[in-house]
Amino acid sequence: MTAIDPIAAGAAIVAGLKKAGIDFVATLPDEKMLEVIRAVEADRQLKHVPLCREEEGIGICAGAYLAGKKTAIIMQNAGFLNSCNALTTTSLQLQIPILMLIYYAGDIGDRGFTTLGAVTEPVLQAMGFRSYVLRRPEEIDETLAGAQILADDSKKPVAVLLTKSVLGVK
Amino acid sequence: MQRYDYLKAIAADAQDALAVSTGWGSREWWAVRPGDGNLKTRTLGLVSSIAAGLAIALPERKVIAIDGDGAFLMNLCGLPTIAQQSPGNLIHLLFDNEIYEASGGTATASRSTDSVVIAKGAGYKQARWVTSLEEFRAEFRAAWQRNELSLIAVKVEPGQPKDLPPLKLDEIENKYRFMRYLEATEHKGILNPGFDSKL
Repeated sequence: MTAIDPIAAGAAIVAGLKKAGIDFVATLPDEKMLEVIRAVEADRQLKHVPLCREEEGIGICAGAYLAGKKTAIIMQNAGFLNSCNALTTTSLQLQIPILMLIYYAGDIGDRGFTTLGAVTEPVLQAMGFRSYVLRRPEEIDETLAGAQILADDSKKPVAVLLTKSVLGVK
Repeated sequence: MQRYDYLKAIAADAQDALAVSTGWGSREWWAVRPGDGNLKTRTLGLVSSIAAGLAIALPERKVIAIDGDGAFLMNLCGLPTIAQQSPGNLIHLLFDNEIYEASGGTATASRSTDSVVIAKGAGYKQARWVTSLEEFRAEFRAAWQRNELSLIAVKVEPGQPKDLPPLKLDEIENKYRFMRYLEATEHKGILNPGFDSKL
């Protein structure tokens, strides 16, 4: 696997989002995704909406989708759990797609977040969301583009779990 | 006065604004301003955030959020986000009947909370209570004219007219009709290309 530094990772992920057609991004930071969010903020072609709580971001992105935007939300897995009602009663119920980039705290080898890590994939599955763990920087473009095609075509949320190795952080 | 009376008072002024509503407010709004520019939402609290997403994405189009006190108080985190973006085309209406009307009628915390102060604290530069139909209508027109994010809050009696017809549409149908209406009135493809073009 290619090693990558955090700034290059942030740039690569934002470039991947844009190649996937995303033009509207809501974010709530995790320290591990700092450079991704900085790159979103710096990009003039992306509308960036910083959030106070992830669930409201599902609403903001739903409204933007109805008006023709291609939306993504960047958050930690704790934020995904915060969003579950909106994802169910807005995204699923009204069939509204959203690409979710979720930092995988508690992923294999990660101390301190094993409780969060343990429930993340089972909850994604229980909600019927397809999800992909992104570990290799060289797979960023293909994974983001592919996940966005699934979201757009199925009109459902699709998750890409971002790991330390793809973010270039320890 | 009930929410319905206030909605009726602004229906003509709302022109072709997009309107996002929830609970009983939806049936009432459809009765006074029918059309495909209306969207009924389901997640308690998210009406203001969904309206804000529309307003941010379509800055030239007026968007009205028809909010209630239970939903407003549930989504307090959404207010600083909306204020930070400050979409000038968003008019946020708060009908405060001090109960969870769509959830059985128990009290919300709004009797001991000032939602206008909360909105101002969150960063809304325009937020005020009104106390009459005339004042509500005047403030709605003012918000429309000044094109600055505005919250208009009013205390209302619970309840609604008994003879309002139920909405005759499925919620997915509502979504599609709303999106097709936006395509037609904003002159742009949203859902297009359709599935046929992918074959």
